[in-house]
Amino acid sequence: MEETIYELMEQAQDMPGGAAKLAILEEAVRLADTSGLKELAYEIRGEIVDCAIFNGYPLKSLIAFSWQLGQFDQNPEEYDADELLWNYKWILGKVCSFSNISKTQIEDLAEDMRRRYAEYGYNERPYYYYKFRIAMDMGNLEEARRYLDTFRLIERDSMSDCEACEQSQMVRFYYLAGEDEQALAVAKPILSGRMRCAEVPHVTLSQVLLPLYRQGEVDQAKEQHRKGYRLVRDDRDFLKTIAEHIEYLTIADPVQGIEVVERHLHMALDYESGLEQMYFYATMVSLLQKLDTSGEKRLIRLPASLEWGKEERTLTEIIAYFRPLAESAAADFDRRNGNTFYSEWIGKIVQTA
Amino acid sequence: MSQTDQYRFQVNLGGMIDILANHLYSSPRVFIREVLQNATDAITARKELRKVAAESKVLKEDKTLEATASESNNYEGKVIVELSGAGEQQVLMIQDNGIGLSEEDIHRFLSIIGQSSKKGADLLASETSFIGRFGIGLLSCFMVSDEIVVLTRSVKEGVSMEWRGKPDGTYTIRRLETELPVGTQIYLRCKPGSEFYYEPAHVEESLFYYGALLPYPVILSVDGETKRVNLPSTSWMQDPEQLRSRRSEVLDLGYRLMGERFSDFIPLRTASGRTGGIAFILPRSVNLNSKRLHRVYLKHMLVSDKAENVLPEWAFFIKSLIWTDELQPTASREYFYENEQLDAVRSELGTCIREELLRMAEYEPDRLQHWIRLHELSMKALAVEDDEFLRIMHRWFSFESTFGRRELSELIREAGGRPLHYTSTVDEYRQITHVAAAQSMLVINGGYIYDSDILEKLHWIDPNLQTERLSPEEVSLSFTGLTQEERENYYGVLRVMDAALQPMRCRAELKRFEPASLPVLYTISQDALTLRSMENTVEETTSLFSNVLDSLKAGVQQNSGYSTLYFNLNNPVVARILEATDTQMVTAATEMMYVNALMMGHYPMNRSELGLMNRSVLHFINWGLGNGQNT
Repeated sequence: MEETIYELMEQAQDMPGGAAKLAILEEAVRLADTSGLKELAYEIRGEIVDCAIFNGYPLKSLIAFSWQLGQFDQNPEEYDADELLWNYKWILGKVCSFSNISKTQIEDLAEDMRRRYAEYGYNERPYYYYKFRIAMDMGNLEEARRYLDTFRLIERDSMSDCEACEQSQMVRFYYLAGEDEQALAVAKPILSGRMRCAEVPHVTLSQVLLPLYRQGEVDQAKEQHRKGYRLVRDDRDFLKTIAEHIEYLTIADPVQGIEVVERHLHMALDYESGLEQMYFYATMVSLLQKLDTSGEKRLIRLPASLEWGKEERTLTEIIAYFRPLAESAAADFDRRNGNTFYSEWIGKIVQTA
Repeated sequence: MSQTDQYRFQVNLGGMIDILANHLYSSPRVFIREVLQNATDAITARKELRKVAAESKVLKEDKTLEATASESNNYEGKVIVELSGAGEQQVLMIQDNGIGLSEEDIHRFLSIIGQSSKKGADLLASETSFIGRFGIGLLSCFMVSDEIVVLTRSVKEGVSMEWRGKPDGTYTIRRLETELPVGTQIYLRCKPGSEFYYEPAHVEESLFYYGALLPYPVILSVDGETKRVNLPSTSWMQDPEQLRSRRSEVLDLGYRLMGERFSDFIPLRTASGRTGGIAFILPRSVNLNSKRLHRVYLKHMLVSDKAENVLPEWAFFIKSLIWTDELQPTASREYFYENEQLDAVRSELGTCIREELLRMAEYEPDRLQHWIRLHELSMKALAVEDDEFLRIMHRWFSFESTFGRRELSELIREAGGRPLHYTSTVDEYRQITHVAAAQSMLVINGGYIYDSDILEKLHWIDPNLQTERLSPEEVSLSFTGLTQEERENYYGVLRVMDAALQPMRCRAELKRFEPASLPVLYTISQDALTLRSMENTVEETTSLFSNVLDSLKAGVQQNSGYSTLYFNLNNPVVARILEATDTQMVTAATEMMYVNALMMGHYPMNRSELGLMNRSVLHFINWGLGNGQNT
């Protein structure tokens, strides 16, 4: 049995991240579980956490991580603490995307991570930085602003996110707050290419488009869209970033926006996390509404996996199908977050019928 | 004295050279590239000067254009590399008959680091007809020599000059009495430890490596023996279509330059003609994650043999030789900047490959099929992005199916107008494959990379090609239902079975299906499977996380539904269970069938399922022993 498991792992290693690779890893972990091979199961789950989180399967990642953490607590000397602690941040970065996870639970998770970091001698920069991100995810911008000022005063250590990631989250803050000039100023070292990493500038470029456009830098916005979209277009992980490109295209070039929607709708349909899905549906509805009212008659090619979409549908029908989905998701998030941030956001970009 | 004194930064040249040698360039061997580059720039400059002179002559004397052309053509550039001496006395000399340097040029280009022979513009970023930056390039020679001697005579002035530079940053300049030919000679004396870079074989290989495509002779002379190192003719660079009629020559070139024996290639050319190339088709299958290493020449000089970004992502079955004069190299000149120009070039080169494949589909289907068999993944990756390509190619793509691995055209024929059924994961495919196969039902495994993406798109490229995603629960559609009488007979037993399975969120169904040897079939949806793994994890994790997972379960539970255990009435054991009258017996048998199905499907069992198995096993042992006593 062990041999089969190693064969599967080898097979997975040769594959690019995505559903096919995850399926193989999951099969390997099932075999390891049924054979009682705990250490091997732990190792494979590490691969699952990694592959799932960066390919748009945050739930699978969370489940695998939970198992690892439980196993680690029982036998801490058997496993690598640093890797686990590092991955904890990824989990914390995604928990807000599930409206079923309560605010208290999220706070408890952050405190749990803080305690574990302290226990292993790391400082609180990651904790406050993630509090900053969580506050943004929950639409509490004033709270986020406070954490922004806190985390930057603490020295960086080896558990801190990289400089580019932190800078990029700051751009996101000013983008969400609608402070265009600040967003562009903070984005500078990223746009110039000085700061970069595996996810930056991918996630940043989509957040300078509207600020640039609104400041009259139309050509620059177009160029950054071209660059940014190319970086994210083949990657499920960036569904929210893609939605931000749609948001920009709604204003700048709606007809091109259709292609982006057609290309990615099937990803959104079976996305594991509600927040990204809501972003996509909402920006898509806003785009289609703009086209619909302008009299555009083009048909949208809906993916075969959408049962409802097997017949030809008008733009009006598609809007009517997806709009309530986006709105009810937003309502769920607002209920959990205790504010009206997402409903208001949807209200702003989606025209009232 | 003023309050503020101004000072100038002092740059430690030794340290700078160390940076160049150890950090900017990938190997000391690049000094060959740098001196070749300088020679090429000098030759280009001389040609341009002649052209300008000829043109002004035309204006003055009103000559015809042909005269202009021949005027600039009858000059031929040439580089001679000479190796002499032995051991530590080894000297490498590189001579060109380019424009040469005047005294002023020497001060400007050889003596101020960072000065480029192109004036004014941004040092690294500007596009010019020279890619060389004389100063920095020459410094790279200090990696292999402790003294650089440059003898030169400019075409503009008659004076012959000598420049001697040392790595500590000092240099001398003097006028020579003798008259040199126009052009530049660089002398490098071997630095101890660098003997390797002076070996004739190594020098020859490096000259070929960097300068194979230079449009003028590069001649190597060792102990009086001279030979041309680079390719004698590169006329096909202007018009890559010519390559088609020079097949064996091209394949030889592929072997010499790329180190691999190819059997086929595709000429590449952008509309502007500023970028061209040869796309060699790899004769072996490649791993999806393997690096795409292309060899790129910029203005005839090798810039990189590991450029990954000059062809589209999907072209991983190609190893190419590219020449261009329009892309912008990075500071180390080993990669290209990812800019709009590169974007355009990449997509044009991609179009060349794609069109050649489409042409093959029409005129040489055998050749195409051969390559599809070897590089199917790459072609499927392209098909997912490109509808037109998918429309032409789909019939040749193969898929795993319950009828074996078949080409899609065959599967379409088999389906006979009915929709093609496919599963979207390997897992789902495995759950139903044996049942589907036993019933001669055609199901395609869409779980491999790109496969379900392609199957999803088929109806867009041809409305007659309907595909239907099949989930394990839907297999039951092809089962034979029970007769009204059987239904009534088994109603009571079925309720007992349902009750037994209820705690595991599973329900029982009675059907008849093939193979009869299979007593039960367990099917579970993806969501229910996720739910199962959540439940099992809750038992294993910390209380905080189990709390979180419990909350998440609520969200998944809504759409996950029940798993189903189909009992096969065609199976004799199942038939006997259904005839049993003892409720406890039926319950225990149902539970055993359930755990058995889990084990057969490699589903890890949670605590309650393990308990269940335990209980039923004991129950059967007890019952078996009891029976044995009674008879």
